[in-house]
Amino acid sequence: MAKGAKRPFGAVPGRMAAWIGRHVSFFIFAVLAVLATLCVRNFAARDNLVIILKQSAIPAVACIGMTMVLMTGGIDLSLGYIVGLASIIAGILAKTLLLPVPEVVLAVLLVGALIGLANGLITQYLRVPAFIATLGSGYVIYGLAQIVSQGSIVNRLPKGFLAIGRTDVLGLPSAVFIAAGVALGFHILISRAIFGRQLRAFGFSPKAAALSGVPTARINVLVYAISGTLAALAGLLFTIRVNAAQPNMGGGVFTFEVVTAAIVGGTSLFGGIGSVAGSILGVLSIKIIENCINLLGVSYHLYLAVQGAIILVAIIVGNLTHHRA
Amino acid sequence: MVIAHLARRAALFALPLVLFLVMGSLIPHFLDVSNLLNVVRQSSIIGICAVGMTYVIIIKGIDLSLAGLLAFCPMISGMLMLAGVGTVPAIAAGLAAGIGMGLFNGLMVATLAVPAFITTLVVGQIASGLALIVNGGRSIGAFPAGFVFIGNGTLLGIPLSDLILICFLALGFFIQRKTALGNHINALGGHESVLRQEGISASRLQFFVFGFSGFCAAVSGLLLSAQMDTVHPTQGDAYQLDAIAACIIGGVDLAGGRGSIPMAVMGALIIGGLRNALDLLGVHPFIQNIFIGSVIILIVFLGGVVRRRNELATRGTL
Repeated sequence: MAKGAKRPFGAVPGRMAAWIGRHVSFFIFAVLAVLATLCVRNFAARDNLVIILKQSAIPAVACIGMTMVLMTGGIDLSLGYIVGLASIIAGILAKTLLLPVPEVVLAVLLVGALIGLANGLITQYLRVPAFIATLGSGYVIYGLAQIVSQGSIVNRLPKGFLAIGRTDVLGLPSAVFIAAGVALGFHILISRAIFGRQLRAFGFSPKAAALSGVPTARINVLVYAISGTLAALAGLLFTIRVNAAQPNMGGGVFTFEVVTAAIVGGTSLFGGIGSVAGSILGVLSIKIIENCINLLGVSYHLYLAVQGAIILVAIIVGNLTHHRA
Repeated sequence: MVIAHLARRAALFALPLVLFLVMGSLIPHFLDVSNLLNVVRQSSIIGICAVGMTYVIIIKGIDLSLAGLLAFCPMISGMLMLAGVGTVPAIAAGLAAGIGMGLFNGLMVATLAVPAFITTLVVGQIASGLALIVNGGRSIGAFPAGFVFIGNGTLLGIPLSDLILICFLALGFFIQRKTALGNHINALGGHESVLRQEGISASRLQFFVFGFSGFCAAVSGLLLSAQMDTVHPTQGDAYQLDAIAACIIGGVDLAGGRGSIPMAVMGALIIGGLRNALDLLGVHPFIQNIFIGSVIILIVFLGGVVRRRNELATRGTL
């Protein structure tokens, strides 16, 4: 919207386009929800909607971190691999070493935060472009996860550990409420707190932000640390949902799903624009698509290609409304 | 500056030499001609990709669609061959698929200014998805003898794969050094304003560069399948990082404007040799990946340090 603001107001179609552009995530979500309800049998059934919420909780947590990284103009390609490392570490700590649950959670989140911190320090102080730094660190993390696991999967985890994400609250697993809580917290942080303003200023123009006294280095490192922590939380919830800790969990496919959700949620690839609410709608949108592909009994592999197609549509629509006119 | 440049050149040639000698002394039979030819044969997959990738990095982009294209293009050709289409038209179809997807990358970058790493990531994902869909996630194999010969045959005792790599090296080198197109590509990465003053269209260059990278990926994917007589829908995943690493080890500058095709191919040989040696030593590929991932970050960091120092130095003398 940096360039959009300069554009003369008055032309109604232009204003319409801008308005739709600002709420593109909502429109995509609404159109998909209506289409799915009309065209796919059993989509609107209560049980199915609960399934969609359950499946959305995990990518939603990770997507919030990715949104913040994308808002700085960077990207975190190591996110999916952090999920796998977090998963296997959680499994080993909870089952093999029988650590108490709070310690397991803390340790896993700490690992995620440290990896994210390393990503942030590499991009900020070693001045390695984000996509290379996180691509490289992603392979390192993936290798570490494989070494830690010794190639095996830890399943049938302790009940106390599973209870974090599986306790039934009002007919929904607690994982959904954890995701909602994280989303609410970061929504306030990004849209109401000074940090959010600084983040957007930094994303629009790092130079202008630095001249205005925004602590750009701190913000740039912090977003990767947050992304790493939330990826680890997503890994934890994922492990609990499938009741198995495995190093292959997440990976490049998960990273791509999260990037897709963020961009469908209206996050600009050029930095500066993004919102938690939009990203959550983005996650719900792609999970609706995945759900319909399942209900229709089409090959699951189609989901990968469709995600690619929808991200392209979102980029083109976002581009037309944000940067042209 | 000149001395530093020459020293860098010399180091880049000496490094693999020393590396190969060390590995040769550690590992029996590593320096046998047959194993070295095998190293080149394995490196040809990365090397051909690195030729296309070098151009992309020179114009400040990156091509993350390799992983998808390395599987999708041969999958197209393979399905056609098994359906009874002739080898040549089937190969042409696979190449066309690669060029088409590459051109699409170029379209997104040139007309919508989408960052290269995003559009190529997306296109790569679509290609991966399609490679899985077209045959329900299964591998295919048992191709006509002519196709398998491309990957495993020899000409005058030299594997055809090595000759194809040399052809791409020559082609890439020729375009970069001897044609106006190559000059313009270098300018697009280093001195874009000059290009604009000359009235040369940047978008046409971007189309060419991404289309060429798609073409290289398709050739490389087909060659890989010909070597193994199999197309596996996720066969590309292992090679993308190696191709990027080859360029970076070969001194191709991620900040754009600078990069040499022969050095990138040299980078591919270093990676190929290293992987071969580590395999012979029994080091697990996961540990190899940790090593290669770290090396990439380290070299990009060091390259940035050198560049900033040079910039400071030139500013100081002006």
